[in-house]
Amino acid sequence: MVALAMSRQRARLTKRVVLFGGLALFTLWTVLPLYWIVVTSIKPNLLIYREPQLIPSQVTADHYTFVLTRTPFLQYVKNSFTVTLVTTVLSSAIGTLAAYAITRLSFRGRAWVARAVVVTYLVPASLLFIPMFQVIHTLGLIDNVVGLMVTYLTFTVPFATWMMIGYFRSVPFELEDAALVDGCSRMQALVRIMLPLALPALAVVALFAFTLSWNEFLYALVFIGSDSQKTLTLGLIGLVRGDTFPWGPMMAASLLGALPPVLVYVVSQKWVVSGLAAGSVKG
Amino acid sequence: MTQGFGALGTDETLARPRQTVASVVGVARGRHLLGRDWASAWLFLAPCMLVLVGLIGYPFVSAILLSFQAKLVGSPGAWVGLQNYYDLLFGRDLSGAFFQSVRVSVLYTLVAQVLKLVLGMSMALLLHEQFRGRMFMRALFFIPWAVPTLIAGLTWKWMYDGTSVGLLNMLVLRLGVTNELVQWLGNYNLALWSVVVAVVWASTPFWAMMFLAGLQAIPGELYEAAEIDGADVFQRFRSITLPGLAPIIIITAMLSTIWTANSINFVYVLTGGGPANATMIFPLLAYQVGVAGAQRLGMGATISLFFFPVFLVLIYFLTKRMLAEEER
Repeated sequence: MVALAMSRQRARLTKRVVLFGGLALFTLWTVLPLYWIVVTSIKPNLLIYREPQLIPSQVTADHYTFVLTRTPFLQYVKNSFTVTLVTTVLSSAIGTLAAYAITRLSFRGRAWVARAVVVTYLVPASLLFIPMFQVIHTLGLIDNVVGLMVTYLTFTVPFATWMMIGYFRSVPFELEDAALVDGCSRMQALVRIMLPLALPALAVVALFAFTLSWNEFLYALVFIGSDSQKTLTLGLIGLVRGDTFPWGPMMAASLLGALPPVLVYVVSQKWVVSGLAAGSVKG
Repeated sequence: MTQGFGALGTDETLARPRQTVASVVGVARGRHLLGRDWASAWLFLAPCMLVLVGLIGYPFVSAILLSFQAKLVGSPGAWVGLQNYYDLLFGRDLSGAFFQSVRVSVLYTLVAQVLKLVLGMSMALLLHEQFRGRMFMRALFFIPWAVPTLIAGLTWKWMYDGTSVGLLNMLVLRLGVTNELVQWLGNYNLALWSVVVAVVWASTPFWAMMFLAGLQAIPGELYEAAEIDGADVFQRFRSITLPGLAPIIIITAMLSTIWTANSINFVYVLTGGGPANATMIFPLLAYQVGVAGAQRLGMGATISLFFFPVFLVLIYFLTKRMLAEEER
């Protein structure tokens, strides 16, 4: 009995050591780059380049002031917000309508439409960006944020539709049937019955559409050239002058640019996991 | 999360909506050839179809057409048949770079995915344990994934700085690992692995979150029963955890493979494909040939398309899994 109890105790101890050892290693791995962003952004240039320090003995807000006043950073942020907002609103609306039709209406070809939604979501941008360049060129939207709003729909719409399909299916038919029998049109049923119920789902869709658009880089790189139209991700690259990376300002801008999606995720962590379940977000 | 997949997987309602009061009324009116609600359905679907067909379907088809043309931006293309494909495989100026990009892409994706699987699984298993501050740790470990990949890439580029001010060089010098500065991104044999580490940092949390949700769906009684039967930790992992997670592992791996192989963000920021094409993955080559520089749209499209059959297989299986039940 004593031997058994002792081996139990030892097993528990081993487990604790592995658990906390593992957590410590992952914490270091996770935090080191994040720490370096923060620390670089507040170190005076002297402590970044001349006498590099791991823990700064002096801090400054100079890099932030520089980024906010001497670079078009705020313009980039504004462009990112505009593109993101338009894309998010449009794709949520388009996705909701389509998902309603796919889950609630009876028509020939419904399964094909559902399949097309999934397939188009999975088609990688690397395949589309060259012909898309032509499309945007033809539309006269090269070097214009409107061109980005249009192209970002290619990944937000299939995704929003797919997420909403999942949610609409979980709403019982009876609720809607009653409304339809009472003489509501389909549109009225959608707006009055389904939409209020699907509000949390819509929030998740909006959240992901926001992040996907905010983080997008390839299309912006291909379509946009001038400062007045650049989004945040592209603008960050533009802070590089020739071969010189002004790391202080760049890390300050990085921190500010990463803040919106990171805050959104930390706050709504639970919803995020439900969104992941739909197999819907980049990894 | 498994319930998530289950619900998405075995959905009867997607294939045939249940008979509703309204649909019975519809049947009484006589079933239309196009389906009961065809008019309102296509009206609701119109904007979505416009995007699917106009912004995804059309560019996809024109990518295929482009690959048979010699076309520069703004000029009408000339049909050249399979010339682009031939040049890519045997031509003097591109085939070397192309085969290098094939090799790099395969290595890059494969190694990154294996690392993400191992680290993601370890992270998920740790976060599944009971301990104080678990929710905090989950949120913390999750952050790298929420950071925009471009910003993550920039941060690693700065940490990899090849002079004595780079964080990693400071660390290896101070810890006495080497006496020389390491060219993390400048060394031909090291650059690809440095890029892989950055990619793994950014997307391991995605895998961990998927696995964690899967772990939570495995009934605890299974473990208790196995423990009573005398199974040790490794046996329990092999006979309960792994089979329970298998569907999620497969889906995660397939999704992440499509995204990892096709994203240029990290490579673009960290190395731009260099040194000497050591990190030239194929989407970046397609970008450089097709859009940057000479803007040879046709050739760029050909490079992108060359790999599409591989992704088509993944897309096929993923779609099947995600839609499990389909119309007859």
